[in-house]
Amino acid sequence: MLEFDGLYKSYGANAVLRGVGFTVPRGSMFGFCGANGAGKTTTMRIAMGLARADAGNVRWRGRPLDEAARRRIGYMPEERGLYPKMKVGEQVTYFARLHGLDAAAAARASDEWVGRLGLGERRGDRVEKLSLGNQQRVQLAAALVSRPEVLILDEPFSGLDPVGVDSLAEALLEQCRQGVPVLFSSHQLDLVERLCDSVGILARGRMVAAGTVDELRRREAGRLLRVVVPDAGPGWAYGLAGVRVVSQQGGDTLLELATGTDDQAVLHAALRTGRVTHFAWREPSLVELFREAVADPEQREAEAVAA
Amino acid sequence: MTTTDTRPRPLGSAALVRLVAGREISTRLRDKNFLISTAVLLVLIIGVMVFQVLVNSGGSNTTIGVVGGSPAAERALVAQGKALGTDVDVRSLDDEAAARQAVDDGDVDAAVVDPEGSDPRLIVERHGGAEQDVVQGAVTALSTAGQLQQAGLTLQAPPQVDVVPLESGGEDRTQATVVAIVGVGLLYFLLILFGQFVAQGVVEEKSSRVVELLLATMKPWQLLAGKILGLGLLGLAQIVILGVVGTAGAIAFDVVDVPGQVIGTVVSVVAWFVIGYAFYASVFAVAASLVSRQEDLGSVLTPTTILLVVGFVISIQAAGDPTSTLATVTSFVPGLSPLVMPVRMAAGEAAWWEVVVAVLLMLVAIGLIVRLGGRVYAGALLRTGGKIKLREALQAERA
Repeated sequence: MLEFDGLYKSYGANAVLRGVGFTVPRGSMFGFCGANGAGKTTTMRIAMGLARADAGNVRWRGRPLDEAARRRIGYMPEERGLYPKMKVGEQVTYFARLHGLDAAAAARASDEWVGRLGLGERRGDRVEKLSLGNQQRVQLAAALVSRPEVLILDEPFSGLDPVGVDSLAEALLEQCRQGVPVLFSSHQLDLVERLCDSVGILARGRMVAAGTVDELRRREAGRLLRVVVPDAGPGWAYGLAGVRVVSQQGGDTLLELATGTDDQAVLHAALRTGRVTHFAWREPSLVELFREAVADPEQREAEAVAA
Repeated sequence: MTTTDTRPRPLGSAALVRLVAGREISTRLRDKNFLISTAVLLVLIIGVMVFQVLVNSGGSNTTIGVVGGSPAAERALVAQGKALGTDVDVRSLDDEAAARQAVDDGDVDAAVVDPEGSDPRLIVERHGGAEQDVVQGAVTALSTAGQLQQAGLTLQAPPQVDVVPLESGGEDRTQATVVAIVGVGLLYFLLILFGQFVAQGVVEEKSSRVVELLLATMKPWQLLAGKILGLGLLGLAQIVILGVVGTAGAIAFDVVDVPGQVIGTVVSVVAWFVIGYAFYASVFAVAASLVSRQEDLGSVLTPTTILLVVGFVISIQAAGDPTSTLATVTSFVPGLSPLVMPVRMAAGEAAWWEVVVAVLLMLVAIGLIVRLGGRVYAGALLRTGGKIKLREALQAERA
């Protein structure tokens, strides 16, 4: 089990992490979401020893990560990092050796992974000659080549075409099946929703929501109402007691109802605008959960007051 | 094959440093620029020697034709030539007409007719030239010997003159100083070359962000040590090869008279390279860690490069005047000493304790740079974008 426990970190006056904690069980995939600058990268860099936490620690199998344990982690940094002028095969071999494989085992593992990720033909090419997508595969090979016990990947899917996304997803799921805990960050929430056993949403240096996607849904369920009123004006739902407008596109309106609000009152209000073509409680998508979770509470209060 | 060999093992510092160093070496050995620069240096060294041989041999070789001379006359010509510093080849010719023809054709440089007779004549293309002195001396010697023999005297071999120089080994010292200047020039070039390699390597890792992946598996000092050691071994191999080729060539081509002194100078230049490289490579690496792009490298390396240039200029000045105050003082200054001290040593103007003091000062300086520089390097490595100030880097060490 990979545990992040009470991480605090500030750069000067800027508090980036304010008590981030979550766990990634063995063999599960954890999607790490959050707006830009929320602190995802900092959290991962702390795990890799590239930044030092002001407080808190990261534990693997109950022990705080040290250098030896980190060598057992496969890591993909946010800014990809490879030697541009080094050949693909040699480069992957080199990283395997840095993770403790001997020369022969490293060469074998490098061959294997380069082949498995579809780069067999490009083994002898310099990395700089490869397309960005292929460079990303080399990066993944570098992270996987040492048979890591843990995978920490910062935005592994960014910049990949749909085929690349699928093959990377397959590779990660396979690692998971072998019992490796996988932590990755992504802005592609549909992907996170599809792949991950659990999700953590980071906002303003705190974990504002964490759990399985279902858990998060259940927490939010019964609160979101979708009403489609084609003839209504933009502000038709404003002023209804206990109702917040989450989004409105044309007549397609998503409303959040405070507990105890009468949904029939909302229906009446909708009918007053004209036709109602859709009226139903709605399971929130991860995108909505995310919006909800990262929305600034002060801003929300301000909206409520204005309403 | 067992299954255990595919399992990763814990790595010690030595193993990590070796891995990094190995990568640096194998990368450079396949780098065209590096190979070309090595080849150019070798060609340059050999070229200098060939040039020396050509210059030395010019005019010191002559062929003299002899008409009607005895073996004694030929011996006298060769002996006289040797005394005057000219290698003389003797060729027998049939008569005066043949002699004129041979000189005219350039088969011989000069021809002497009847060297032992009462009317010896020298046929040359025009007046002047070493042959005149050689032949005149030989004829005089032959005539004197002949007259003495007729008078019933037998000649004893004349005594050899023993040379007592007041200043010990003036000529060898000059040669050693020339070797030192060539050596220091080489040292200067290699320090800049390998310093640049180190700096470019550091920036490459930073700009490509690969450093983040590296530092997830090792400490900054291990990366720094591996890089400097790997390139240092290459640099050392290069200067040793150049030194050996240069020295062997110089001895083989007879460019130097006292090989011992020259070899000593070459060895001291190589030793100073090791110390100088440790110093400059560390400074270059630390400076380079402050920037993130190759384009910005120039601005942070300039101060150190200037120090190197100053050292080189002083060393050339010191070759002319090894006892000057400037040379004496700078041969102790860390950073300048690797370039100035070898010249003073070659000139025989540095006492052993002076060398020891200069080396110790250098080692202290290297120790300080590695300690302080290591912290700057560690602090600056993971920070990208723009140029980082030294102070920031020191504070940011693994922040």
